[in-house]
Amino acid sequence: MAAQNLVFAVLAVVAVLAALRVVTTRNVVHAALYLVAVLGSVGALYVLLAAEFLAAVQVLIYIGAIVVLFLFGIMLTRPTLGRESGLDNDQRWLAGITGLFLFGVLSYVLVEAFGDERLPRLEGLDREALTAERGTGAVGDAIFSTYLVPFEVVSVLLLAALVGAIVLARRE
Amino acid sequence: MDQYLPIVVMFVLAVGFVVLSIVTSKLLAPGRPTPAKEAPYESGIVPTSEPARRFPVRFYLVAMIFIVFDIEIIFLFPWAVVHRELGAFGLWAIVAFIVPFFLSFLWEVAEGGLEWGPVSRSRPLTDEHRTTTSTVRLVGMDGREPSEPAVRDRPAEEKTNEKEEVVT
Amino acid sequence: MILAVELAYWQLLVIKVLAVMVIVPTATAVIVQTFLFKMMAHMQSRLGPMEAGPHGALQLLADGAKFVQKELLAPERADRRVFFLAPVVVLLSTFLLFVVIPAGPNVVAEDLDIGIFFALAVSSISVLGILMAGWASANKYALMGGLRAAGQLIAYELPLVLAVVGVVIQSGELSLQGIVRAQAEGAIFGVGLIGQPFIFTQFIGFALFLVATQAELTQPPFDMPIAESELVAGYQVEYSGLQFLFFYLGEFGAAFAFSALAATMFLGGWYVPGLDVDGGLISNLVGPAVLFVKTMLVAFLIFWIRFTYPRLREDQLQTFAWKFLIPLALVNILATGVFKVLF
Repeated sequence: MAAQNLVFAVLAVVAVLAALRVVTTRNVVHAALYLVAVLGSVGALYVLLAAEFLAAVQVLIYIGAIVVLFLFGIMLTRPTLGRESGLDNDQRWLAGITGLFLFGVLSYVLVEAFGDERLPRLEGLDREALTAERGTGAVGDAIFSTYLVPFEVVSVLLLAALVGAIVLARRE
Repeated sequence: MDQYLPIVVMFVLAVGFVVLSIVTSKLLAPGRPTPAKEAPYESGIVPTSEPARRFPVRFYLVAMIFIVFDIEIIFLFPWAVVHRELGAFGLWAIVAFIVPFFLSFLWEVAEGGLEWGPVSRSRPLTDEHRTTTSTVRLVGMDGREPSEPAVRDRPAEEKTNEKEEVVT
Repeated sequence: MILAVELAYWQLLVIKVLAVMVIVPTATAVIVQTFLFKMMAHMQSRLGPMEAGPHGALQLLADGAKFVQKELLAPERADRRVFFLAPVVVLLSTFLLFVVIPAGPNVVAEDLDIGIFFALAVSSISVLGILMAGWASANKYALMGGLRAAGQLIAYELPLVLAVVGVVIQSGELSLQGIVRAQAEGAIFGVGLIGQPFIFTQFIGFALFLVATQAELTQPPFDMPIAESELVAGYQVEYSGLQFLFFYLGEFGAAFAFSALAATMFLGGWYVPGLDVDGGLISNLVGPAVLFVKTMLVAFLIFWIRFTYPRLREDQLQTFAWKFLIPLALVNILATGVFKVLF
């Protein structure tokens, strides 16, 4: 357990530092690359929770698709190298307050929903029990029983996203 | 989780490999940069302007559609793993998940949302008034039957029609 | 594991990972020497490299020694940190691919439960390295090449992933060992003589996987991103010496890894009839050789296509992926699902 706590600490520190660099760096592409570090650390945290399918999804979707979309957008519109001046404005205080507010809301929701609940202990389980508990099959079971309706709603959401993308692109 | 220890070790060793080989290279290779070496290589032509700043928005559209598709596909994996236990119910659920999405994709293709390249112009390549009879001056026709050019017109006209179909 | 009795866990771990570290460059060298140097040369009625070693067999050592001694250059206006990191990202993605490929019941660095999905996730990282290289080079050819590469890699990642879904439906497992076992224990019309290599039922999947692999490796006929006649060398144009070699190693190492993945998913992997699927010294010794032969077979197909077809135009390339491969892959999955559930 001590090793896990240590790894968690390292990953958390890396994620927070990289996140700070995302908002403080003066280079848009660097910001996107620091974001990769943040998302990668979060993915490693999922592995620590034995949610390996989710970790791979994190890499495939967030790093392999969403950051690539960001980089695409940046490189298509402003492929300049070096620092840029127009990245900062005088709304820092407002942003800080919004961030704190969001942090408060999320903390409240988490505490309210889970309270004193503890994560199930993992270290006693052998590999097969762990797979049954947290593996891809368990994810599939959950999707097709408890979360069937949200799952089908996701389809509609994705459809809306697809139509939106086309409408945006056709307005050239 | 200890399954992922090899991945971490691999990561560290691969980075070590890179660092080691770069250090070796730095020791062995000469380091004599000159302005000519450091200039961007553009086939010997000295770059006069900044790199182009505008690219077709189509690229961005592809990236957006890619994300939507990717998320859609991710959900297929848990189903593929447990489909035996779920049976027909799972199949119907996944079909209900995929079909609306796929239909909208088909709609998009039909709408021309994924057309690439230059927009094909609807201007016909040939003018219907410009045929072989009006442009080609036949020499040495004195005293012959005038029906011959008309016969020769036929294939030319058919060709014109074909071209128009391709273009429009 | 037979040898594991005396070795501690971490010792075994280090040995396995070091073995992978050795296998990656070796596999790359075998691929380049066999196909790029010799097969391509003979298909084009020439000899290829002949000077270094017997029949040019040591050419790659000479090349490696040459690359190490080359000056590492970066363009004056390049973003040096990103420029340096880009080939490393591509190389890392290739190295990590090799970790999950099994070559015998126990001959695998780590058989992850999400095996094939992990491989797909890791291989998607290389797009990032290519975009980084294209942007950091401060060269318009490099930027265009990087963008083309990224547009192509993401368009062909979808058929790649979709082709894998068909295999997962058949095996019911993501682990690559599990996929090999499912093929070894399967039967064709009740006859379990040779097991059931998924190429028989997933032939469309196999073809899709090969084509998508071809595009993911930016090999001809899908080599618009590095089209030498218009972009010089695309995102690689400013790289020299070892850094260029890293891109090379990443590309051809990935060619070997993807061939091995295709062999594992569609041709039965390290298993041939007669071997014991669950373990045993013979399986562990023969398995790697079997996998190697099958991998080279798949790699031969990939490189055969590479040397045969002319380059596709960018719009043809995108149209092919979106309007042909992806719908075909979805239909394949649907058909597989219906068959598996109804019969």
